Amino acid sequence: MMRTLTNPLARWGFGIIAVVVLMALFAPWIAPYDPDDIDVKAILLSPDAAHWMGTDGLGRDVYSRMLFGARISLLVGFVAVGIATFIGVILGAVAGFYRGWVDIVIMRLVDVMLAIPTFFLILAVIAFLTPSIWNIMIVIGLTSWMGVTRLVRAEFLSLREREFVLSAQTLGATNARLIFMHLLPNSLTPIIVSTVLGIASAVLVESGLSFLGLGVQAPQASWGNILTDGKEYIQFAWWLSLYPGMAILLTVLGYNLLGEGLRDALDPRNTGARD
Amino acid sequence: MTQYLLKRLFWMVPLLVGISLISFLIMHLAPGDITTTEAGFNPKASEESRQKLRKIYHLDEPLIVQYGLWLKRMGTLDFGESFAAHQRPVLWQTKDKPGSPGMIQEALPITLLINILGLVLILATALPLGLISAVYQNRPPDRAITVFVFIGFAVPGFWLALILMYWLGVTHNWLPISGIHSLGYETMTWPAQWLDIGRHLVIPVFISTLGGLAGISLFVRNGMLDVLHQDYITTARAKGLSEPTVVYRHALRNALLPLITLLGLSIPGLIGGSVIAESLFAIPGMGKLFYDAVLMRDFPVIMGILTIGAALTMIGNLLADLAYAWADPRVRRGVAG
Repeated sequence: MMRTLTNPLARWGFGIIAVVVLMALFAPWIAPYDPDDIDVKAILLSPDAAHWMGTDGLGRDVYSRMLFGARISLLVGFVAVGIATFIGVILGAVAGFYRGWVDIVIMRLVDVMLAIPTFFLILAVIAFLTPSIWNIMIVIGLTSWMGVTRLVRAEFLSLREREFVLSAQTLGATNARLIFMHLLPNSLTPIIVSTVLGIASAVLVESGLSFLGLGVQAPQASWGNILTDGKEYIQFAWWLSLYPGMAILLTVLGYNLLGEGLRDALDPRNTGARD
Repeated sequence: MTQYLLKRLFWMVPLLVGISLISFLIMHLAPGDITTTEAGFNPKASEESRQKLRKIYHLDEPLIVQYGLWLKRMGTLDFGESFAAHQRPVLWQTKDKPGSPGMIQEALPITLLINILGLVLILATALPLGLISAVYQNRPPDRAITVFVFIGFAVPGFWLALILMYWLGVTHNWLPISGIHSLGYETMTWPAQWLDIGRHLVIPVFISTLGGLAGISLFVRNGMLDVLHQDYITTARAKGLSEPTVVYRHALRNALLPLITLLGLSIPGLIGGSVIAESLFAIPGMGKLFYDAVLMRDFPVIMGILTIGAALTMIGNLLADLAYAWADPRVRRGVAG
């Protein structure tokens, strides 16, 4: 883990994410205004000392809404990717460990899910459910586990033939012990990397859905739906478009840097001097 | 090769069954059934028309019968008629409604045009970028391209689209920002018509290109680096071949092979990604059609597009696999022998 912090990519990514997480956690204390407080005397004010990021069409403070929106982005990212990783690890482990027909069935399921354009699938499911933050997280989670499944399966397939696993098996280790004590711990690196990169894409999907009006619903603030307002008022209020877009960009960049940095730092092939 | 093709076609059968099951599952996610107001069905619709719909979609039959009927309709590509839009046929024009072309029939060419233009531009830019990055590994050109790639991954496409729309369309009024035709399109000469469509597609194609550019150039870079460390490259250099010959004739050709598969795999993302750009620019393609259908709970259109989207993806992957087998003798022989 120490190597991770010396990797410049990981350090930058970690720094960005840490700032966003802290701002989200302490949003109620650092937000200068109530994010839902409508002020008809302060509609579409440009950024100044009182409103750092200006106000929106209902006179709400954009900076405060951005802080609370950060909570939504992070929550959706964590929970959706948590669901996807959970499903992916279980299916991938079962497929890679037991092989045979279980493997075939699971991998065909992966192929089917990959054949349907993910964004269409998400929208179709949401069309039949009420859009709420919980439904969004579940739907993103249920439609993005395929990568992790393939990854864990591949790891298990190759690890299963390694000597330490074979010897544990010869010594009478149960299947559960093999999976949880030997195979899974040795597959953690790629799982962690794909989780971190997965959060980045979940944040993008959530903001896209909210931008289309099918994600987090008003009055609850999310970066995506602040941008929807930005679209309405783009001719009069640039700040409504600029700040949420920058926030999404930085957060996604942070996760991607952290993920790639972790990959570099934790990959045993990179331990020697780089050529 | 024929054997390979047959094997690939055979594997499409379980895929199709799986797709039919998933789309059937989605249909039945809604609380109650699709004709109830909980599912967002038009509350003003009369009980009579509701009953009629229940009959058309066999909603009173047991689930297994409904699934059988759905399979049959998928097999015959019969996706019925839209709930909205003057009950136009979902897929293509039918004989009993000569005046109204199918909704997918009209929307699909537009989305394909945008995505094919996008793919061509992606390849034209990502190949040199990835190549330069690999040849200058860890030196300034590589670093600059890597920064660009990371930012490209992180930029929300719809945000960039919004900014370009405002900057190029509203502030400077250089490009149209909505639809694919201008007023008076019908009276233009054909070069003017092409120019008109082209002007409307500049920003959407640019957004589509940028969305895939980062991933593909990173892929080319990593592929080239892998190949450049192979023994046969060392051999080629040891033989005294010039560096350009090594890079272009020996390395690049091998590094490009996996790109074929990646392009096939990127099709669903491109089709899916068209939703936001098309609805933002009011371009009447598959993405906008799907978005509108979702908003109006226009369930036959949703199911039709899901199925056609999946079918296109499978065709794309099949073509990619065949191209790969054609380009790489190892794959061909591995299957035949």
